[in-house]
Amino acid sequence: MSDKTYSIKANDFTFLFTEDEIKATDSIRKPNGDFNLIRNNKSVNAKLISASITGKNAIVEVEGENFEITIKDELDQMLEVMGFGIATTKHIKEIKAPMPGLVLEISVIDGQEVKEGERILILEAMKMENSIMIPADAIIKKILVKAGQAVDKGQVLIELD
Amino acid sequence: MKKILVANRGEIALRIMRTIRKMGIQSVAVYSEADRYSPHVLYADEAVCLGAAPSSQSYLNGDKIIAFCKALSVDGIHPGYGFLSENADFAQKVEDAGITFIGPGPEAMRVMGSKLAAKECVKHYNIPMVPGIDKAIEDVNVAKKIAAEVGYPILIKASAGGGGKGMRIVEKEADFEEQMQRAVSEATSSFGDGAVFIEKYVSSPRHIEVQVVADKFGNVIHGFERECSIQRRHQKVVEETPCAIMTPQLRKQIGDAAVMVAKSCNYVSTGTVEFLMDDQLNFYFLEMNTRLQVEHPVSEMITGLDLVEEQIRIARGEVLRIKQEDLVINGHAIELRVYAEDPLNNFLPSIGTLEKYVKPSGEGIRVDDGYEEGMTIPIYYDPLIAKLIVHGKTRTEAIEMMLQAIRDFKIKGVATTLPFGTFVFEHEAFFSGYFDTHFVKNYYSPEKLKDKQKANAEVAAIAALKNWFQKQEIVNAVDNKSTSWKRRLAK
Repeated sequence: MSDKTYSIKANDFTFLFTEDEIKATDSIRKPNGDFNLIRNNKSVNAKLISASITGKNAIVEVEGENFEITIKDELDQMLEVMGFGIATTKHIKEIKAPMPGLVLEISVIDGQEVKEGERILILEAMKMENSIMIPADAIIKKILVKAGQAVDKGQVLIELD
Repeated sequence: MKKILVANRGEIALRIMRTIRKMGIQSVAVYSEADRYSPHVLYADEAVCLGAAPSSQSYLNGDKIIAFCKALSVDGIHPGYGFLSENADFAQKVEDAGITFIGPGPEAMRVMGSKLAAKECVKHYNIPMVPGIDKAIEDVNVAKKIAAEVGYPILIKASAGGGGKGMRIVEKEADFEEQMQRAVSEATSSFGDGAVFIEKYVSSPRHIEVQVVADKFGNVIHGFERECSIQRRHQKVVEETPCAIMTPQLRKQIGDAAVMVAKSCNYVSTGTVEFLMDDQLNFYFLEMNTRLQVEHPVSEMITGLDLVEEQIRIARGEVLRIKQEDLVINGHAIELRVYAEDPLNNFLPSIGTLEKYVKPSGEGIRVDDGYEEGMTIPIYYDPLIAKLIVHGKTRTEAIEMMLQAIRDFKIKGVATTLPFGTFVFEHEAFFSGYFDTHFVKNYYSPEKLKDKQKANAEVAAIAALKNWFQKQEIVNAVDNKSTSWKRRLAK
């Protein structure tokens, strides 16, 4: 019996497994090094594309998609908690451009109170006009762009209070 | 014709040049400053830079293109799709300059380029049309009144529109004004013409189109239908031919209707007649696209035609070599448009560099693309990276081939519509053949894609962990061995 837990990051996903859980999975390793897992009666293949010497970092391909894997054992997890223990609460402080494009119209002014879902500006990209809505109630602190201005992806358009 | 200039970029420019070369003709590429590295520029026999990256300063500069044609003794221009392909004034200028425009005449383009004029033109040919108003409207209040008469939901459409630009569905009167403003504004900025009209919105519509080919002698044939109902933002992502629910009788009816539409405007060259089909299999004329269509390869796969070659032959004044009865449907073809768009984020453009770009290959697999590994997708143009086309003996075989081809298509650096393709081709509604243009709205959500990715990520995580355990066992085994050695030595 082992209840050692592992935190595994695979691209944007994080999974927690105990050693027993992993050992209980129905998986085999073929002579060529590929894995096959049977989960909920589904037969799925996984190919180890590359792995670090320790095996803690790896790239695994499943159904054509590559996943970058980082394995953290209990010690790694403990170190992480100590280092980044204080999580910051998420607060919307600004509106960023979700894609590069051209600001077509700004529908708000400095100091205006806006309700969730209200349109604040129109961004044209790839010849399509996209209405940018506000994700939560807020007050417009400062508008940093002008109509007609080209913006990059991730550029801050509007500061909020 | 000895030298043809291709007034386009990316995959379509390259695809056209391949046929040009096959026919023993010289090709001339045009490019913007953003496209110097593009394969179409590298492939062409000659290439000229049109100017800065924005289309208005490069690919839309018709006068500059014509001037280059004269300087380089070009005798034909192929416009591809988009850009100047449906610009009647440009086609006229080309002809006036003594150069052959590889496409329909300016008059047919003008008529079909305006959805309203098109309706007027085909009126006398007994072709079914969607209920609505066949006049352009500008006054919001008048428009509102008409919309109420037609009955919600309605569709506001730009008369000069296409590809979903300047088009808005309005479900209820309260949304009308805002939507009309957006439609007019989009139509003005995209087409320079803000005229819009109103149509009844057909629920559960399928988008079926028919490929037509017409020579200068009045011979018109059709190359069967294409099913293009899988769309996002009113733009096609998946196309196939034949349509899964089409009967031979219905195919003949819709094919004949398409031929009539082409004849109504004295059409010459290849073109596409678009229809809406409701759930009772009634079809209505929508519009005619007076150009080579993005999705033309699926029709090429099942008919064996090279549509670009046909266009060039027709432009040279040749008589069609094939008759309607010569054309038969061979197998089934499907196309997936691989766009640099994020299906997890509302299909918004995902701009970046193709860090990895490996395309699938094999029998029955065709990839029309205009990028190579290491290239950046520019923000100035359509985010189409490639078209993945498969050709199987049956529809089921084609779907399976497509799923495998998607797995073999490796793109890193930008998000693409490839995972969305997997979602579509694995979906039972698509498999059954019974789906409409609401496929995305009805069945797709980013969460479903995310769930699938998560399941795959979990498998990957388990495999990596197993691998790590195995490595540790080897390390431990070595440790144990060395301790037993020590023990033995100690004895």
